[in-house]
Amino acid sequence: MIEHDIVTHLARFAGALRDREIPVGLADEIDGTRALTLVDVLDRAEVRHALCTALKIQRRHQEQFDELFDRWWVTRSHRTDDRHPRMPSGRSGLARLQDAFWVQQGTVESEGAVGEGDLPGYSPEVLLRRKPFDAYTAPDLLAMERVLARLASKFATRWSRRLVPSRGRGMMDLRRSFRRLLGTGGELVSVARRARAVDQPRLVLLCDTSGSMDTHTRFLLAFVLALKKVARYAEVFAFNTSLTRLTPWLSAGKIGRTIDRLASGVPDWSGGTKIGESLAEFVSKYHNQLVDGRTVVVILSDGLDRGEPGRLVRPMRVIHRRARRVIWLNPLLGDPRYEPTARGMAAALPYVDHFAPAHNLESLERVISLLRT
Amino acid sequence: MRQEIREVQQAMARQGYIAEDEIATAVYLAQQMRKPLLIEGDAGVGKTEVAKVLAGLLDTELIRLQCYEGLDVNTALYEWNYQRQLLRLKIMERDGKSPAELEDIIFGREYLLERPLLQAITRHDGPPVLLVDEIDRADDGFEAFLLEVLSEFQVTIPELGTITAEHIPRVVLTSNQSREIGDALRRRCLYLYIEHPTLEKEVQIIRRKVPDAGERLAEEIARFMQGLRGRELYKVPGVAETIDWARALVELHRDHLDAETVEQTRGCLLKDQHDVQELDTEAVAALVEHALSTDTPAR
Repeated sequence: MIEHDIVTHLARFAGALRDREIPVGLADEIDGTRALTLVDVLDRAEVRHALCTALKIQRRHQEQFDELFDRWWVTRSHRTDDRHPRMPSGRSGLARLQDAFWVQQGTVESEGAVGEGDLPGYSPEVLLRRKPFDAYTAPDLLAMERVLARLASKFATRWSRRLVPSRGRGMMDLRRSFRRLLGTGGELVSVARRARAVDQPRLVLLCDTSGSMDTHTRFLLAFVLALKKVARYAEVFAFNTSLTRLTPWLSAGKIGRTIDRLASGVPDWSGGTKIGESLAEFVSKYHNQLVDGRTVVVILSDGLDRGEPGRLVRPMRVIHRRARRVIWLNPLLGDPRYEPTARGMAAALPYVDHFAPAHNLESLERVISLLRT
Repeated sequence: MRQEIREVQQAMARQGYIAEDEIATAVYLAQQMRKPLLIEGDAGVGKTEVAKVLAGLLDTELIRLQCYEGLDVNTALYEWNYQRQLLRLKIMERDGKSPAELEDIIFGREYLLERPLLQAITRHDGPPVLLVDEIDRADDGFEAFLLEVLSEFQVTIPELGTITAEHIPRVVLTSNQSREIGDALRRRCLYLYIEHPTLEKEVQIIRRKVPDAGERLAEEIARFMQGLRGRELYKVPGVAETIDWARALVELHRDHLDAETVEQTRGCLLKDQHDVQELDTEAVAALVEHALSTDTPAR
């Protein structure tokens, strides 16, 4: 028999885990309770192992779990409120980005007034496509959004290795052919086939938000958001001197709130860049779960780095080995005089499959075709 | 520690597996709670071995499903033996049987090729151990299908009807974490993360698996490995590499480590060109020195 108060205690403990964003569900609590009936409750190490197994604590949560366990299963002290300390906010540069998005939203609202489609006085699409981002006006932005939305929907096809029933192409599907054959008394009238399924690529986007990228950031972010809408699996990170995972904040239809949260969440927006350190952080925290052989990793950065260039090599190599493709988009590449001599950039180049410009819409359009292959 | 868990640990040791407390606890709980056990960890830490040992422990069959990208239900569950079916149809062509009669004959059990999942469900003599190896390599669509099989332990074959498991198999899933396993599947299992072994455990493992290696050599190897894992490597060598290396050294009639031997045999340890370059003469010398100094604490 298990003591009632241990069950309660476990439930509270699970609550504390959830407060730390360690996913523990009701079913896990039930497993945990059952596990506790099976082990020696007085043996602390055993209880810890049992709970770890039954609550499915993953490796990356292990440290937090241990810390909480130590607090909860020794002295049985009362629950303390343990929220994460808030990240310091660097508002100065972000305010600009925020403005940009408000401008965008403002224009969306006034869209009815100016009307859909061809607007007199606007740059025709062809011109718009070649216009550098830093020369954009607010109406350009709106037009760009439409172009992007159309482009982005082209994206996202790739053949999977899995075979699914198909008409008229692919390998013969014996199982289905055979069933058909029964209906015709053993005469093979038509052959059923299987072909490779269409698979959506997974995307991991890493955006540089440092000061040197400032003029490009908002357009690139709009691009990223458009991609995020059509790709089933897309993860978005921002980095400057450290890395921030943006994905949880970027759900559709919440752009206004998103910006607010970004403002408080991304430290040192428009500050310096430490690409190597940021990518190393990505590799140690997220690489294993987010990048697999189907993943395209896109890095948006000008490669101007304040960190140690050698530090970039290792994470780039790790990412390159695992990912299906690594694409580096560099807004400076649009300038014919630019050569990737920045030391960080030069160090990273051997591990980049496509090094492409990202200074205007036309260049982004090409990127989309890269994502598909 | 509870007696039953200690017994599991001892039984595993008899099978040649040195299990840490958390491994024994997880195996025991999975047994008692009749839940699949999902094991994650770096390559070469002995994930698959747990399933093999479990099968030995229960004295039952190990049925293994190796996952890969593109693995589908036909390969995992069942397939009809089309060649035999076609032959049979040809033979019966002039018998004038109705399609329904034909169907009954050629969709009999003897024309069914059982693949690992179905084998595990239909086994008569006691529950087998079903090892779903490297589940992270399969597509997520397959994962969803597996989820269904693992919760119901029954399979519906349209031509035969529903087959329900006589004995619920003991299931072990392993993952190298090349991608995240879906939450639904994770929730259905108990979870174990296997770390690289501690110094003491690694010495025990070497002594156990390579009895010809002397005590001194085993300890030096283990100490060297602990030091090596502390360095920044792309492919961190696991216990499998340790054992290979120990065997190689025994073959070479070495009873202790020295820098020259290590350099000659580092192909047993490092499977990546950059790692090999990284481990230059200087690094080897430092690691060997660390391995030989008996008073340094492990890591």
